[in-house]
Amino acid sequence: MSALLRMEFGKLVRLGSLRFSLLLLVIFPLLWSYAPGIFDVYGFYLVSGYQVPALGLLSSMEFLLPLLVAITSAELLGIEMSYGTLPTILLRPVSRSRWLLAKLIVSSLYPFLLLLFLLLVSLITGAFYGYGSFVGGTGLGAGGILGEGLMQPAPALAEIVWAYAVAAISLIPISLLAVLFTVMFMSAAGGALATLGTLIAMKLLVVFPAIEPYLLTSQLSSYVAPVAGMGWVVLLIFVYCTAFAVAAVVLFERKDF
Amino acid sequence: MPIAAIATERLTKAYGPRPIVRDLTFHVDPGEVYALVGPNGAGKTTVIRLVSGLAFPSSGSVRLLGFDPHQRPDVRRRLGAVVEAPAAFYPYLSGRANLELHARLVGGVPAARIGQVLDMMELGPSADRRVGVYSLGMRQRLGVAAALLSEPDVLILDEPASGMDPLSLHLVHRVLRDAAAQGTAVLLSTHHLDEVATYCSRVAILEEGTLIDEVDLRDRQARFRASVSDVHAARVLLDTQSFVTQAGIRGHEVLFQLTDPAELPRVAPVLTKARIDLLALSRDTFNLRAYYQDRLGERRASNADEAPDGEASESSFEGRVTEASEDEDAVGRGQA
Repeated sequence: MSALLRMEFGKLVRLGSLRFSLLLLVIFPLLWSYAPGIFDVYGFYLVSGYQVPALGLLSSMEFLLPLLVAITSAELLGIEMSYGTLPTILLRPVSRSRWLLAKLIVSSLYPFLLLLFLLLVSLITGAFYGYGSFVGGTGLGAGGILGEGLMQPAPALAEIVWAYAVAAISLIPISLLAVLFTVMFMSAAGGALATLGTLIAMKLLVVFPAIEPYLLTSQLSSYVAPVAGMGWVVLLIFVYCTAFAVAAVVLFERKDF
Repeated sequence: MPIAAIATERLTKAYGPRPIVRDLTFHVDPGEVYALVGPNGAGKTTVIRLVSGLAFPSSGSVRLLGFDPHQRPDVRRRLGAVVEAPAAFYPYLSGRANLELHARLVGGVPAARIGQVLDMMELGPSADRRVGVYSLGMRQRLGVAAALLSEPDVLILDEPASGMDPLSLHLVHRVLRDAAAQGTAVLLSTHHLDEVATYCSRVAILEEGTLIDEVDLRDRQARFRASVSDVHAARVLLDTQSFVTQAGIRGHEVLFQLTDPAELPRVAPVLTKARIDLLALSRDTFNLRAYYQDRLGERRASNADEAPDGEASESSFEGRVTEASEDEDAVGRGQA
């Protein structure tokens, strides 16, 4: 399995969509940090470098990051179809489920890599504002961006890391859903579009308050405002991930190539 | 009785209501080259995909070295296959790097083996170039190299010579012949009838997913033709020899089949002793192309007879049947 995982990571770093995503994640924190309309849109001024990562998440978790995650995860499998290498690989003595499992694992880790990159870029970009103690909040803790008085660097960094980790976890089901749809449609474009369609449909379902806590899209804001306790969020995400991964493997096992 | 390298039993594959492959039963033994031939859409690629385990049968069974390839994916450790034309590789990796990746997937091969198969397919000088810049023929040769990587017991190739120049074509056929000589079972689909007829053991003719004929070419290896001064006398004389099983006349030549190809040196002295001049003597290669056209023609004519008016097969095919019939020889192609 480790050989398969290494191979899949090798493919991941060569994907065009990954490079495009990284480029976007370099550009946006830079623009946000120095954008003149920040106060008009978000109602605050940046006073610390620790607030730039919050701005990164607040502005990208709604649409941009799910989009990037869905596209790259779909492409990780779709690239095998466009190169025609899928049958070639499946003719080797590797079981289909193991091979797809390697893809699913790499897809699951991708949100962590993407958010780690965004965090690093945001912290570098925020250096302009400095990393000392400041009055206010990181935007990712209980006090929001206005905070609850003087904020020390260590708790500020801990808040940011925790929020990025939760955000990454909430993006994993989207990765796996993209893989599932790509298996279903045997196309990267089909997989990514179906994932986005599903996310948009889920967002619209908030008009039914009873099901809102169960929606995948409701978990995307868990890094700052979870719909229930974190235990619930993690459990629900685990259920989604398991369901998507199992469905993808079962479908893939029975596919004709 | 040894286990067949490949065996299918009433293999059927349907997409929706229309069967692509119907009730196909055949086997390929170790050391045998078995060719699937047929017009486009006959189901050759589907058979290749079913046998290699890429597609699932709708009914019937497939056995690869005695195992169901879906139940036992590890049996593919002994399989080498090319099912795409051109063979598919990661274009951003070199030919060598692609083979290294394949080597990891089969659980490792001796370090020298990669260079060996690259040289065998005359890809040594291009081995470190990106596959993205390879020509169609080079990709196909790399595909065959990848298939040979693990020294497989079974080789399955779909149109292995597609897009190749004549020299590469000859190379691939030579490699496949050598592999079979070393005991590998080779199953291939092809349109190169003249080339495969020279070394194939058996040829299956497919039409609309059905096996319409299986031609055994092995007994034809002992068939020869001679250009002589008196064909009638030569035929009568050869027909009486114990080492000749059958003799006939085609045009100005006498055709004969020996009990064993090793008996060939006995032919000239017999003719000379009877004062018959021997002008030329050569192996009589079976005209697979003509036979194939005849069989397809018969099949289509039969289908046309059964079909309602207006559904007859294309009349343009009749010309090919006539042309094929002119080649019919006295020894008889119909023994297949």
